[in-house]
Amino acid sequence: MKSPRLDPPARVLVTKIGLDGHDRGSRIVAAFLRDAGMDVIYTPPWQSIAGVVKLATEEDVDTIGVSSLATDHLIVPQLVEALREAGLGHVGVVVGGVVPVDEQPALIASGVSAIFGPGASRDDIVEHVAALAAQSRAARDAELREWTP
Amino acid sequence: MTKEAVQLPLPGFDQDFAQWRADYSKQIGADRRIVNRSGIEIKSLYTPRDLDGSAYETDLGFPGQYPYTRGIYPTMHRGHTWSQRQLIGLGTPEDYNARVRQILAAGATAISFLPCNSGFRGVDCDEVDPLLLGTCGTVSNTVDDMDVALDGVPLGEISTAMNDPSPFTLLAFTLGVAKRRGIAWDRISGTSNQSDYISHFIANHMFYRLSLPGSRRVLTDHVAFCLERLPNWNPISVVGQHMQQAGATPAETVGFTLSTALQYAEDCVTRGIDIDVLLRRFTFFFDISISFFEEIAKFRAARRIWARLARERLGAKNPNSWRFKFHGQTSGVDLTRQQPLNNIARVATQAMAGILSGLQSMHTDAYDEAVATPTEETARIALGTQNILREEAHLCDVIDPLAGSYYVETLTDQMDAEILSVIAKIDAAGGMYKAAESGLVQTMIGESARRYQEKIERGEEKVVGVNCYQFDDEEGARKPTERPDLERMKAHIERFKAFKESRSRSAVDSALAALARAAHDKEDNIFARVVEAAGVGVTHGEIVACLRKELGFGRPLIVA
Amino acid sequence: MGVPSLSPEIPPALADLVDRLRRGDAAALSRCLSLVEQGGSHADAIGRLADPATGHAAVVGFSGPPGAGKSTLIDAYITHVRAYGRSVAVAAVDPSSPISGGSVLGDRVRMQRHTEDPGVFIRSIASRGHLGGLSENIHRVVDLMDASGRDVIVIETVGAGQSEVEIAEVADVCVVVNAPNLGDDVQAMKAGILEIADVLVVNKADLPLASRTADQLRAMLALRAEQRDVPVIETVATSGAGVDALAAAVDARGGLSAMQKRANRLRRVRRLIAQSAARQIRDRILALDTPQSDALLQAALRGHCGIAESVERFLRLLV
Repeated sequence: MKSPRLDPPARVLVTKIGLDGHDRGSRIVAAFLRDAGMDVIYTPPWQSIAGVVKLATEEDVDTIGVSSLATDHLIVPQLVEALREAGLGHVGVVVGGVVPVDEQPALIASGVSAIFGPGASRDDIVEHVAALAAQSRAARDAELREWTP
Repeated sequence: MTKEAVQLPLPGFDQDFAQWRADYSKQIGADRRIVNRSGIEIKSLYTPRDLDGSAYETDLGFPGQYPYTRGIYPTMHRGHTWSQRQLIGLGTPEDYNARVRQILAAGATAISFLPCNSGFRGVDCDEVDPLLLGTCGTVSNTVDDMDVALDGVPLGEISTAMNDPSPFTLLAFTLGVAKRRGIAWDRISGTSNQSDYISHFIANHMFYRLSLPGSRRVLTDHVAFCLERLPNWNPISVVGQHMQQAGATPAETVGFTLSTALQYAEDCVTRGIDIDVLLRRFTFFFDISISFFEEIAKFRAARRIWARLARERLGAKNPNSWRFKFHGQTSGVDLTRQQPLNNIARVATQAMAGILSGLQSMHTDAYDEAVATPTEETARIALGTQNILREEAHLCDVIDPLAGSYYVETLTDQMDAEILSVIAKIDAAGGMYKAAESGLVQTMIGESARRYQEKIERGEEKVVGVNCYQFDDEEGARKPTERPDLERMKAHIERFKAFKESRSRSAVDSALAALARAAHDKEDNIFARVVEAAGVGVTHGEIVACLRKELGFGRPLIVA
Repeated sequence: MGVPSLSPEIPPALADLVDRLRRGDAAALSRCLSLVEQGGSHADAIGRLADPATGHAAVVGFSGPPGAGKSTLIDAYITHVRAYGRSVAVAAVDPSSPISGGSVLGDRVRMQRHTEDPGVFIRSIASRGHLGGLSENIHRVVDLMDASGRDVIVIETVGAGQSEVEIAEVADVCVVVNAPNLGDDVQAMKAGILEIADVLVVNKADLPLASRTADQLRAMLALRAEQRDVPVIETVATSGAGVDALAAAVDARGGLSAMQKRANRLRRVRRLIAQSAARQIRDRILALDTPQSDALLQAALRGHCGIAESVERFLRLLV
């Protein structure tokens, strides 16, 4: 079931934290999200967790996609925690790249919504990100409704 | 490209060929148009008509004879097999040392050092979350670290490749170790494997540390230093691997890489370095993909083109300067996470292509390389593949065995033409430095990458286990991922911090000041100051930070 | 869409949000920017609440062709401004894809020195097909950033279409950034740029053609009838060279009095209304389907009524 396109478009951050610098995959994903009608905020690799939280706050992102090769996924739980502490718990986080199977459950348990390996289909990634963005938007719209007497 | 078809006076040839064509068309059913990764159309059959035997002397030559298409030495692997140079890098220096001793015992004849990602990033181990350290390479921030890592390794006798971009601190640490052990620097042999800053700027941003002009200066200084003080060291390795992994086609990769080689040669000659002194120390580093025949044709064409460029365009006079020496690594991009044991077959195929291409040194990936750093077992299997191909399949008995194949020679010529057209495009853009700076190369690579990705998504390009012959992943059966011991890593970080406290602060400060001054003094040699700084205990992170400050932080051009 | 309309009473939560914005809270500013993009009555309420706090910031617009190094120059300019303790907000506008409507907003990539500095707020904005290259809401975005207490607001846009002219409507100072050109290109430069630029920059000044390009620009400026003092500054954004001179030139031109700023803002608001009006009228004319409108169209078609007069007639119909 396809999520409807958001208006204004979903704002998705595509980023890399930790040490790995291979950014070809994240650029390809940024391009397909754009082709699916989303506004993608793209950063170079080596972002710090504090930097990502600041960016997510300023840009009011709906979803965050973290590209991880090597072992950078090991610090994604710290990112998820930092986002929650900053009041950004409604922002869904997905991880794309290579995560050993035995380390995936811990990542999901920490709050990551999905992990997309190298063979993941473009449509699956787009659909999941769109669904997370719609949820995040819906949470914020609900908040607005509360403000309306 | 037109070629005079050989008019064979073979009676019956034409009729038999026509007959074959007719039978083929009748029986093939729905035929497909096949185009290789470089965009060259591949026929179903090649015949003597495709080959111009009269071109043997001009276009092929004998092994060890210009233009070296058949091999750069007269004996090739029959005389001296390729170096088995497996990449190792993980954990602490002690971990590296344990692994290097094993690999030497298992038959490796040369070693390669892969630093931790934190090192590529330009920082020391105490600047990063310990969870991220030592997972993809070895932490090595000082001469002491390198001393531990190379304990028991016969430095003056074995060739060591350092996978270290500008400013080449790993070599500086190695030289420090050699000094401690009383080994004369002129006995140190090996290669600065990641000296090709242009390839990093274009296609491997992780390795790109200093600004473009800064990298250019440091490389030229490094070359000058090494040619003078380290006569057995190859200071330049021009790398095609990153670009091919980023999506450049095999022909484009060679075109870009040779253009880069021309650029570096020009820069060094401008500096006053003699072309023949320089070129005999040039080496190349390429990926070997699984497109079997295409890779073989690619390397044969590369040998021929380089020989011609070196002699005719660069004016080198010594035959040593015309020889295209290369290290091949089986391409990790072709490996899959699904059904990982299949990767052993893939690596064997890639390795075969490498051997039949006449490479000088090779690294074979472990089957789990797509997922994690190799374990002892998988590293052993990777090396075993090379041993089997050599000992059991007898791939070394005949030099350039595929020469004369109607297909391989045709493909070699076609790859040659493609490669030359890429070099022409780069020339038109003012050379590789300018082409990279402007983003032209990145754009070309991006387009090739997109096209290939689309072919995979459409199922035109098949990957077993991924878009065909899929099987419910039996990955759950894998052993848990090995990670460096976190406690030992933390202990290493503590020792490192203690080391920093124990150094002569004044020696460190004055070495860093000299390094900073050298950055602004064209008469000084930056790499010489790096070596001195390393010698008094300045760390990797401190050296990189100093040069980033003076020469500019390396920010690659992001071409969407 | 799920966004309800507000009653004339402003809910306390919204008032509280704008209060936080006025105190400089980044999360509040960000939320308000999103609400303003969604439009509707929340956007209007926020605008009303924020208005009294506007009028202090210096608004600097940077435009110029792609490849001139604008983002890198802005990064260096921000570093300079921050060294003096002034806070900055950046509105970085990138074009939306005309095919998918989505965008890749990559300007932050070149502003990596400020990723953890709370004194630098960066918001990436998609142009959403807006012809001028800026977004339709840019006026509101600027006002909100102003109301949040930021000292300097930087607007960055790709110099395509009419964006140079549009940026002049929004910014106090317009900086147009060029790369060194081959001689002929300078001549072909749009005349409009010289009209609106307050400061001209030739970036990548380490390249050999740079000083010639700068001279050519000065010569073209001198030829114009209306003489304004427009400096041509050479910079090397990657090293920071020339950024001091750029900042000084911007300050010299941006030192507007409160009255001048108010006048600028009035001009911005007028423009916003005019654009909105044009859109509304266009939509309504396209939708109008009555016997009278039909008759007007027939008359226009047969040439009995010229276009200008047809417009007058339609407007009367709409009132």
